[in-house]
Amino acid sequence: MVKELLSVHHLTFAYSGDCVLQGVDFTLHRGTFLGIVGPNGSGKTTLLHLLARLLPLQEGIICFEGKEIWRYSHTEWAKKVAIVFQEIPTRVSLPCQEVIAMGRFPYLRRFAREGEEDERAVQWAMEMTETWQFAERDFGELSGGEKQRVMIARALAQKPTLLLLDEPTSHLDVLHQLEVMQILRALQREGITIIGIFHDPNVVAQWCQYALFLKGGRVLRFGTTEEVMRKEYLAELLEVEFIEHTHPLSLRPFFTPLELRKRPSRGITVHLICGGGRGIPFVRKFLEAGFSLSVGIVNRFDSDEELAIQLRLPVVSEKPFSPFSEESLHHALHLARKAQWVFIVPTYWGRGNLLNLELARLLLLEGKRVFLLREGFDPRFDYTGGEARKKLAELAHHGAQVLERVEELWEK
Amino acid sequence: MYMSHRRKNRQFLRLLGLVVGGLLGSIVFAQGVGGGGYSWHDSFALFSPSTLSTIDRTILFHIRLPRIIIAVLVGGGLALGGAALQGMFHNPLVDPYVLGVSSGAALGAVVAMVSGIYFGLFTIPLFAFSGAVCTAFVVFRLGMVAKRIPLETLLLAGVAMGMFLSAFISLGMFLAGEDLHQIVFWTMGGLWGRGWMEVRMVVFPFLIGVPLLFSFTRELNAFLLGEKVAQSLGVDVEKVKKWLLLFVSLLVASCVAVSGVIGFVGLVVPHLLRLLGCEDHRFLLPLSFLVGGVVLLWADTLARTILNPVELPVGIVTSIIGAPFFIYLLRRKKREW
Repeated sequence: MVKELLSVHHLTFAYSGDCVLQGVDFTLHRGTFLGIVGPNGSGKTTLLHLLARLLPLQEGIICFEGKEIWRYSHTEWAKKVAIVFQEIPTRVSLPCQEVIAMGRFPYLRRFAREGEEDERAVQWAMEMTETWQFAERDFGELSGGEKQRVMIARALAQKPTLLLLDEPTSHLDVLHQLEVMQILRALQREGITIIGIFHDPNVVAQWCQYALFLKGGRVLRFGTTEEVMRKEYLAELLEVEFIEHTHPLSLRPFFTPLELRKRPSRGITVHLICGGGRGIPFVRKFLEAGFSLSVGIVNRFDSDEELAIQLRLPVVSEKPFSPFSEESLHHALHLARKAQWVFIVPTYWGRGNLLNLELARLLLLEGKRVFLLREGFDPRFDYTGGEARKKLAELAHHGAQVLERVEELWEK
Repeated sequence: MYMSHRRKNRQFLRLLGLVVGGLLGSIVFAQGVGGGGYSWHDSFALFSPSTLSTIDRTILFHIRLPRIIIAVLVGGGLALGGAALQGMFHNPLVDPYVLGVSSGAALGAVVAMVSGIYFGLFTIPLFAFSGAVCTAFVVFRLGMVAKRIPLETLLLAGVAMGMFLSAFISLGMFLAGEDLHQIVFWTMGGLWGRGWMEVRMVVFPFLIGVPLLFSFTRELNAFLLGEKVAQSLGVDVEKVKKWLLLFVSLLVASCVAVSGVIGFVGLVVPHLLRLLGCEDHRFLLPLSFLVGGVVLLWADTLARTILNPVELPVGIVTSIIGAPFFIYLLRRKKREW
């Protein structure tokens, strides 16, 4: 028995001179689930069609179970490899079980009737996909998700070793997407090898064991999802920055794309004095209103600090759970001088971060415009026994403007 | 789960029995129609030919019966061809003449009539058949792009070829002089004067073409899910297309050769059956063949009696009834096909 199920060597393909795939190499073991990710036009579908023998090979070799794929007969091949497409057939009004039974085509001789083995295969396909409940219903009357499950059942009735899927979930809503992915996972447990193209890198991160990144017809990355699914590789692949979190249930990585960085439209930089996670909504508001931002001083691993890092904002940070040092104060002073305005976020005040108010005072004396919100005077924020409030009042006295709402700044 | 499968098979067999019964009944009925009236005596004379006078026997067995058989075969062949091509292209507007078979046959017939070549009664059918087959072949070659046969190019090639040949048919008519009425009648499609010789001409292509087309029902079903899916199921898509086009063209060419151009049967009958919920080609193809036969038989029976003693070309009857019926079907059920 050959160890690899599928091996692809130096696969190159061109449509009338336009190179779509260039030197694609990878091997896949039995019983694995590979997700292919790539931007539009990266050659994903061409690759899958070549694997499914829907396109002729031009250059390179594809071997399946140690044998060149084009050396299988049409029906031998259809017994080993099945494919499900993104497009769902329209204008078909047959009972679903008839549609699923079409998967038995390669097993039936020209005039033969379906036998017991065919019935068992169809039954199994229906059980795996939970389609038996609409076995007798008209295919044309099903919802998109149900139709796609029937198409998967049709592919399973072929009893394939390898199942190929071309964006099977991209027309489906969240519930049906999850249903399909759960079916695929169950199939993988049954020992079926699966290769799927997925639009959403998170689907691959969640469900696949292996990932292949395709860009410009070349393999950018190939490996286990742990190795490959990283935000820096994804950024390289899709040209969008991602934030990486941990999925709360599966504990697998989960990626959120960052908005495309817009040019700050106002030409005003605001230095935010924040901390304790209180800065997050203000960061959003300022950025959306078109301001540039700098942040400091905040403690390392404070959620305000993490956000600033992820957004690549200039930030001055202090060691975790440490009172701010004079060194940090100098850094922050240096940074904030580049800003036109200073905004003090209504945050909690303790002995550790009082120095931030000192920072504000120094900046005010240097002539910077300093703003704070009325709610910042709320005694519940003050864990310094009134000292912070006193300092805030002092700032207001020396010319810092007290606002009711941050949005008042948009008019200035 | 397969209970319903078997039930469906039984349903189909029952329906098949019904249609076969209807066909036989229609044949017996049509046998009794003639001279502007109906005689049940003529109908049942089928079963006791020895009691007939010579002249009656000639009328019933050498005029009516072969014509009835031709009507059934031609109607069946056209409907079967239409059903197969509609399924293959997954398009309801395809009729069995897409390959330009009708104009090719007409041109062949015109050439025979105008040139005055004559070597027996089967001269015109033979010319028509050759014209049809040659045209189908040319259109097929023109429609092929990089060893594949996309529907669009095939349809366009068929239309262009049809126009091109029509010009020659018109030229033939212009030059025909006193043969003009013969050409005009031929292109209207009619079954008058068809006898056992014509039956013998079409029977052979039918014996080959019909069972072979029936053997492609599973492939045609797979085509319903799209060509890509069919290919992934192990159907050799391009090869199947070529075989289907070949068999349909042979069948339809032999129909046209003996009957002229009869419209709408090949388009409407399969369409009607689909609308009645028969989409599975295992059932659709045999039913199309039988229902097509029944429909053309009735149309021809109507054609030869409605304006007695004048016999209408059956092509006129099928178009007059078929076209409005087709429009009615389209308006009634737009969502499918």
